[in-house]
Amino acid sequence: MLLVPCPNCGPRNSADLRYGGESHARPDPATATPQQWRGYLYLRDNPAGWLRENWYCRSGCRRWFALERNTATNEFRNPPAPGDKRGGKA
Amino acid sequence: MAESPAFESPVVRSYEFSSGGPLMLTDASPTTKWLVRGEVGGAAAERLDAPFGSSRDAGGGALVLGSRPGEWIVLGPADAVASVVAGLDGLDSSEFLTALDWTHGRALFLVTGTDAPRMLEKVCSLDWSDAMTPDGAVASASVAKVTCDIARHDDDGTPAYMIFCDRSFGQYLFDALIDAGNEFGLSVGPAGP
Repeated sequence: MLLVPCPNCGPRNSADLRYGGESHARPDPATATPQQWRGYLYLRDNPAGWLRENWYCRSGCRRWFALERNTATNEFRNPPAPGDKRGGKA
Repeated sequence: MAESPAFESPVVRSYEFSSGGPLMLTDASPTTKWLVRGEVGGAAAERLDAPFGSSRDAGGGALVLGSRPGEWIVLGPADAVASVVAGLDGLDSSEFLTALDWTHGRALFLVTGTDAPRMLEKVCSLDWSDAMTPDGAVASASVAKVTCDIARHDDDGTPAYMIFCDRSFGQYLFDALIDAGNEFGLSVGPAGP
């Protein structure tokens, strides 16, 4: 089982999340060349090592977030800060 | 607040039975439930005062559950829930705020008993230990492959969990919970809020 560190929900089974692929900066549509668009839409780095990825916490907080995963070891690092804090009965 | 038409439970096949054990499953779908959405850290969040993952007794039997960032469930007796929701009117805020009567759209099941955490471990991957999900904790997760909101609200020290799901999954989830609870001597109580 792959435990994904959701910034809001904490560690979750990857079955509770949706994988959103590599995280790339979207080029400016007004200035991007066709080659840049093709690269953004279709080309992936696919490294054996650290990769920044998008994940969607579909069964939990329903938020998209990006974090880094080592594709060789499935370690995670640098999860974003939570958008809200968790706690018990207020 | 308009009167709701007669409520029809999503559990159409009833299984009321008693095994004599302490673990109890109850269909509480008729309970009045409202969904409130606003901004994280906004005026509504301050008024509802239940951060994500926690719950608060709002008085009159109403509970406010912080079910997701910027999302709350208000449930309980209809007049108490109406009072909480009415308290959001006139907030001095420009945030986009919605409040929706969810009573007919969501099923609500109660699981009560000391074996309730062990039963839930069979159908949900959350950590049900007291350290991770104490009394008052709220979470959203997959329960028997159905996305649910879950709130722990103990009954005089006995672990008790409220499980919300879309009403179209209600009968399936009810059956799945019965199946998961059989080995712990699950009893099924009469439906009602």
